[in-house]
Amino acid sequence: MSSERRRYILETKDLTKAFGGLVAVNHVNIKVERNKMTMLMGPNGAGKTTFVNVCTGVLKPDEGEVIFDGRDITGWPPHDVYKAGFVRTFQVPEPFLKLTVLDNVLVAIGNKGENPFRGAIKWLWIREEKENIEKAFKILDAVGLADLWDRQAFTLGAGQLKMLEIARALATGAKLIALDEPIGGTDPAYANDILSYVKGLLKIWDVSFLLIEHRIDIALPFADYVYVMDRGKVIAEGLPDEVANNPKVIEIYIGE
Amino acid sequence: MLPPYVYLILNILVNFAVFLIVTLSLNLETGYAGIPQFGRVLAVLAGAIVAGAVPGRLIAYYIGEKWGAEYANHLYNFPIVDRINREILAPNPLLSIGILLFTLVVAAIFGGILGYLSSYPALRLKEAYLGITLLAFGDALQIIGKYWQPLVGATMGVTVPDPYRCIGIGAEKTIGATLIFLGFAILIYLFVESLGRSPFGRALKAMRDSEVAAEVYGKNIVRLRGWALIIGGAIAAVGGALWAFYAGSMKALTYDRLTWTFWPWAFMMLGGTGNNFGVFVGVLIFSTVRSLIYVYKHALATIIPIKPAWLEYILVGLVIVLISLFRPQGFIPEKPALSVKRKEIERIKEAITSKKAEA
Ligand SMILES: Nc1ncnc2c1ncn2[C@@H]1O[C@H](COP(=O)(O)OP(=O)(O)OP(=O)(O)O)[C@@H](O)[C@H]1O
Ligand SMILES: [Mg+2]
Repeated sequence: MSSERRRYILETKDLTKAFGGLVAVNHVNIKVERNKMTMLMGPNGAGKTTFVNVCTGVLKPDEGEVIFDGRDITGWPPHDVYKAGFVRTFQVPEPFLKLTVLDNVLVAIGNKGENPFRGAIKWLWIREEKENIEKAFKILDAVGLADLWDRQAFTLGAGQLKMLEIARALATGAKLIALDEPIGGTDPAYANDILSYVKGLLKIWDVSFLLIEHRIDIALPFADYVYVMDRGKVIAEGLPDEVANNPKVIEIYIGE
Repeated sequence: MLPPYVYLILNILVNFAVFLIVTLSLNLETGYAGIPQFGRVLAVLAGAIVAGAVPGRLIAYYIGEKWGAEYANHLYNFPIVDRINREILAPNPLLSIGILLFTLVVAAIFGGILGYLSSYPALRLKEAYLGITLLAFGDALQIIGKYWQPLVGATMGVTVPDPYRCIGIGAEKTIGATLIFLGFAILIYLFVESLGRSPFGRALKAMRDSEVAAEVYGKNIVRLRGWALIIGGAIAAVGGALWAFYAGSMKALTYDRLTWTFWPWAFMMLGGTGNNFGVFVGVLIFSTVRSLIYVYKHALATIIPIKPAWLEYILVGLVIVLISLFRPQGFIPEKPALSVKRKEIERIKEAITSKKAEA
């Protein structure tokens, strides 16, 4: 691995995805530094979610490369991207509706008993299961869902579903976690708490974040580096205050 | 001779056993994995065909009888199987058990292979399209069985060797065969229930609830769906083979989609999808009602203005409509299946949340 590769957990090269005539992601080059919180912002329809979809294999790119942890993962199916150590949350929550909050997290962590031959024999997976339950509760506790562990996901409110999205992703122990508007719709004080918690994890875990956020007033202070997208293209990048003072960025946000 | 009510109970039990097996297999694929399995009859029929075509031929070959295409010709078939039953199986309990188990294993493998083959369209087609494709698969095998004589005697069917003959004849045998059937059904119940409560069952439900999230969280959808179809197909085929053994004859004609696809759907919907106990209850209620209709059809014919046979059709339609309208989750809605005892989970939770409170 070159030093460049060692420094960045994720790097895209000319990543492009079009829907018919609409180029939602247009030759995007983004680098996510290890153990940092990289923020991706931009107005509605800028292509942020599409970018994450293409990186994680939910959609196949038309052009370009996705290099993750020194490996070319372009076009890999999502479950292989997961195994490589890259997960993402969903802007519009995608819970496993009939499973409990705890089970939602346990699914995300995974267990060898997911193979039917092992699954049928409890002692082959029960120890791992208990360890996972412990892991899950640590995260659920942090996002305020521990007491709701046995509630089926369809009974949760919108804010709680957002937290479940975060909990599932964090519990995987992935090397890179893309958070697609994780605090959308939550009140500012709580959003602040959650982001500080997530940011704090950088110090204790070997993890990196790609934070996609709309509400720059709340999110920007947590970012180590910022990319700004508009209409499929990266139009600015830099440290948070550089970007905040960039006339192009100001224009889009005022023009909105 | 046993009193008539004993026969009624035996009839209910054997119907319960076979439909429990078949409906549990459907529930694994549809209730757990979310695959619209409208071709349940395919694997059931495959299992019955194995029972009709394999063990008899094997023994016929061994004792020097015709075992090729002629075996399935009704002119030869009945005398050959009759000889097998009297001379080979009746005096040989161990061999009978061996033949029974061997046939079930072959049926399971055959059903599993068909399940695996169905996973190809299952990956490419969505919902209704997949449902219709699977339905067509089921009908296709029935047509082959119905018209291709060398397999299982086409419209005339074949006689199936009787592994229960060693128990005796008449009432003894009926009771023995019914209890064995029930025993298999219970074993299968325990098996699917342990699968359902395992991480495997949970992953299936996750895939059913959100395919994209399951994929993003590391589940190989192709593989999971394949496994559900293989295991479901294997179980359904075991049900079909047991049914053919119990009936003593095998006619492809009788493996129609009303009985072996739509009935199991109705049982599952009535009891509750995605939960095996619901299926248990649904099948119990239904098989009781069905047996009663069957046993009392002559009495019924005098009091209702339609043919009692139609009552079954009306019933299945009515149940599906009423359940979908008023209680789509079934009598017993899917409950979270805890992989570890609640107490144990609470204990882990307390240990973690209190530690944090101290810090
Ligand atoms: N599956 C799709 N098919 C067609 N067009 C799509 C699809 N997904 C996204 N688009 C379009 O691509 C563009 C980028 O959408 P995307 O969701 O990536 O934006 P975003 O930056 O995440 O916006 P938001 O802040 O609203 O979440 C939009 O114009 C959207 O309508
Ligand atoms: Mg978006």
